[in-house]
Amino acid sequence: MSAELKTRVQELIDSMINPAVAGHGGFVELIDVQDNRVYLQMGGGCQGCGAADITLKSGIERLIKEEIPEVTEVLDTTDHAAGHNPYYTPGKA
Amino acid sequence: MPTASRLLLLLPTTTYRTEAFVDAAAKLGVELVCASERPSTLEELSPDSLVTLDFADPLASAETIARFARRLPIDAVVPVDDQTTVVGAAISQRLGLKANSLPAVSAARDKHAMRRCLAEAGVPVPRFRLVRLSDDPAARAEEVEYPCVLKPLSLSASRGVIRANDRREFVTAFHRIARILESMDASPSDEARRALLVEEFIPGREVALEGLLVGGTLHTLALFDKPDPLDGPFFEETIYVTPSRVPETTQARVAAVTRDACAALGLTEGPIHAELRVNERGPFVLEVAARSIGGLCSRTLTFGTGLSLEELILCHALGRPLQSLERERRAAGVMMIPIPRAGRLAAVHGADDAAAIDGVDEVAITMHPGQDVIPLPEGWQYLGFIFARAETPAAVEQALRRAHARLRFDIE
Repeated sequence: MSAELKTRVQELIDSMINPAVAGHGGFVELIDVQDNRVYLQMGGGCQGCGAADITLKSGIERLIKEEIPEVTEVLDTTDHAAGHNPYYTPGKA
Repeated sequence: MPTASRLLLLLPTTTYRTEAFVDAAAKLGVELVCASERPSTLEELSPDSLVTLDFADPLASAETIARFARRLPIDAVVPVDDQTTVVGAAISQRLGLKANSLPAVSAARDKHAMRRCLAEAGVPVPRFRLVRLSDDPAARAEEVEYPCVLKPLSLSASRGVIRANDRREFVTAFHRIARILESMDASPSDEARRALLVEEFIPGREVALEGLLVGGTLHTLALFDKPDPLDGPFFEETIYVTPSRVPETTQARVAAVTRDACAALGLTEGPIHAELRVNERGPFVLEVAARSIGGLCSRTLTFGTGLSLEELILCHALGRPLQSLERERRAAGVMMIPIPRAGRLAAVHGADDAAAIDGVDEVAITMHPGQDVIPLPEGWQYLGFIFARAETPAAVEQALRRAHARLRFDIE
């Protein structure tokens, strides 16, 4: 089941998500699917980006759940502190 | 079956506050719509949850969301920091949601309007005057008492706030602030670019009150001490520790003055972050912002059975019951790690050693290698944040200082 789910998530990432986040120099890598939970890592402009949580929760997770309703959650395993070129950098404004 | 609440979060792309609010929404099972001033790369694929708004045009943003809400009703609007409080009030007003009024939030966003409003209501504030950037600074410098503080009308995080001890320093500070305002590519408003505030320097210790307004009643969530002296020439915030160690009578006076300030401004709902100076003459209000504490500092706060500050704020905005506004028993604190000098951050050393200090919860380095770092008064960021918890405020402060001493930043 997980293997099939993993394939469908990967196809979605390849066909829709990565072409979109590439606009900000970012990419998303599928790490695993376990118990209907999707584990991702973000890279490039997404790694350390101030808007990464928006991208993940209101973009990526929503898209994946819409297309693959059996997915219950999308979890970010990225080490954002190690990001070298985030698209947006936060400041106390 | 009832549908989940839908919440609009107003999240500038540069805010530190995104993760905390998005996590809180997820924990509460809220359907989230995120609006930023620049488009998300996924907006076309996810138009029901990602929106772009011009935060500098509150009325146009309110119309955009009103159209959105006809299709997908919005139950609450939460602006997460200073840049979005006014647009948040405009949207709430347009949607008929319970929130602060637009005039109240607008006054709180403009330091001169706020000072004027508070002074007229008898709330203690530093003596102040507005100085136009078109004025001759040398002439204005003749007219003020020293020491004084010059500050932009709408910037945050002590950006552009400079003490002047004499006329020469006044003129230098005036030009320096003018350059900061000229260099900004977006907000503040045109008016905020044309003038600055000059006010009396109030000696004393500084405290910050984190509060939640519910139906016009102010609930104090935490009172933070700022143990490092803030005497200028710049006013870099470093350590916040709660509970406060100032006498209880002083704490009560701080709360009362903050309550009066909120009432004078007309703020009635949602989070407030107030900063006050306290000396033998009593508390003076420096600022009341219609938002919660900035940066990652809210990680110092948990309430009741472990609710975050952001969960409290979202519950209040959605009209859900607030189970407890009581902060955890232990003392807690944060150090905003200051930028020692301008340059490019090459490397950070000692983060693991710093995190190993007894009492330290976390060391979060938020700037990335290769990033340009700019100290105050031009800068507005921190190298990162250190968080600590202990039995006493003194132990928290000590843990933060010891952890900071273990960090080393290579800035080229």
